[in-house]
Amino acid sequence: MDKNRKKRTLGILRLTVLNGAFLLLCLVALVPVLYALTLSFSGSGAALSSRFSFWPTQPTLENYRAILFDEPFLLWFRNSVILSVGTVFFSMLCAVPAAYAFSRWRFAGRRFTLKLLLVLNAFPQILSMFALFRVLKTIGLLNTHGGLILIYAGSMCVFALWNMKGYFDTIPVEIEEASRIDGASDRQMILRIVLPLAKPAIVVTCVMVLITVWNEYLFATTFLLDSTSYSLAGGLYQLQSNDYSRSWPLFSAAAVLVSLPILAVFFKIQKYMVSGLTAGGVKG
Amino acid sequence: MRKKPWLYSAPALLLILIVVVFPIGYTAYISLTNMNLYHWADFRVIGLSNYARALFKFDSGFLGALFTTLLWTVVNMALQLFCGFWIALGLNAKGLRLRRLYKTLLMLPWAMPAYVSILLWRVGIFNTEFGLLNQWLTALGLPKYSILDNTVTAFLACLALNLWMALPFMIATIDGALQSVDASLYESASLDGAGFFQKVRFITVPGIRAIIAPAAVMTTFITFKQFDIVYLLTQQKGYMTGANLNTVITYAYQNAFVSNNYGLSSAVSMLLFVLIILFSLATNRSLREE
Repeated sequence: MDKNRKKRTLGILRLTVLNGAFLLLCLVALVPVLYALTLSFSGSGAALSSRFSFWPTQPTLENYRAILFDEPFLLWFRNSVILSVGTVFFSMLCAVPAAYAFSRWRFAGRRFTLKLLLVLNAFPQILSMFALFRVLKTIGLLNTHGGLILIYAGSMCVFALWNMKGYFDTIPVEIEEASRIDGASDRQMILRIVLPLAKPAIVVTCVMVLITVWNEYLFATTFLLDSTSYSLAGGLYQLQSNDYSRSWPLFSAAAVLVSLPILAVFFKIQKYMVSGLTAGGVKG
Repeated sequence: MRKKPWLYSAPALLLILIVVVFPIGYTAYISLTNMNLYHWADFRVIGLSNYARALFKFDSGFLGALFTTLLWTVVNMALQLFCGFWIALGLNAKGLRLRRLYKTLLMLPWAMPAYVSILLWRVGIFNTEFGLLNQWLTALGLPKYSILDNTVTAFLACLALNLWMALPFMIATIDGALQSVDASLYESASLDGAGFFQKVRFITVPGIRAIIAPAAVMTTFITFKQFDIVYLLTQQKGYMTGANLNTVITYAYQNAFVSNNYGLSSAVSMLLFVLIILFSLATNRSLREE
């Protein structure tokens, strides 16, 4: 009897310690985000006050008003939408039929091409950035959204191809054979049978490409030089590199606005993220 | 039938050829020339001397950057695997009611756009005037310290930030792997009188190793290639801090876009490409054998 009670007390103690540790850990994970959130709702003096609290002392929406209407935030937002949607459209348009071909048919050069794509995927695009810069400059696509979409679409295409191929591999061929016996043409079969079946995978891949492009800053800040073509990355970058005391609360408001849509999307597809990220890299 | 697959994949392969393959080839070509700011148009082929400069001239800084990168990768992976494992194990402890809440909150850094997180840390945590770290130092009566100005502390700052950003993925992966360990193994081990650490060592670790391996390899590559953190924290254009911290990727970038040594930068890029290919071939083989 006594031994049982001791065991139970020990168990409760263990859980208390564990809960304490996790609360602390979550706090550490959230501090930078909470700080920015608090600051974004605070008056302009708050950033310099040495007394820090996780609750704005004089709550105000002034920073949000200023970032939305005094800064070209809406223009940056529009540019980011153009870049991400354009990239999703072009990369998927190219990748899906290719992924289908590589998944369904066996042909000479197939294995080699797939291997090559894996190797290319390992190459960090930053390393060829200067070459890309020179090429774009030469053909006059520097500082255009079209040029950047082309670059994004190319690198995302490799990822999307592997991701979609992995999914097509899991759709049984028998379904397609059945429809072929019913006399469906290639085009009909792909449009009516394969694509509807692959819809969830297509959606998830699109969202992953979208998030990647939305979060990309290096190419966006190097290749878009004109402040009217800036994406959110370029705009935020500029905000934080300016005089801090004026723009730091503005920056925190902008950071909240940029992150919110991504957070919403991320938690919606989170369960696919772990498997999706690793699937492309290893399956041969 | 023989043309059809190529017809379907032509747009994708063409796009990849133009945007990914051609620039790599072009980089290889530039690496053999003396292209720099003064020779933007009238450069000429000078053979392998850029490679020789990167590899054999110690003042070129490449070997130092390579060493920093290896140290960075090893320390990061060790910390991530260690912390990720214990946190995931803690999340799976029996009777932890708030598990789902903790899991969701811990995933937040992963969901944030990376550059936003880094810039938030740069100003909100590390900055001498607005940074929380210095506000806390002041509150404790200590003098302010600009963490990003010193090479060693800047390295530690980058390490902390990378851990913050990368741990969620590791936790999620290990947490997923833990679900696949057969629970009855623990019960029979308990009956045999095994303690907690023995169970972890002889059941949990062997049980999840094969599942973690691909994710760990992928994270190793990502860590090796990490650019954003070091660049945005310490080397923004016009805002270089005093820290002399370079990974191989920031080294290549600096030489291309700051000091305009295009030839040298391209040579380094090609060396890294070969290194990464060799490494990925080696790990691919060992993963398959496991």
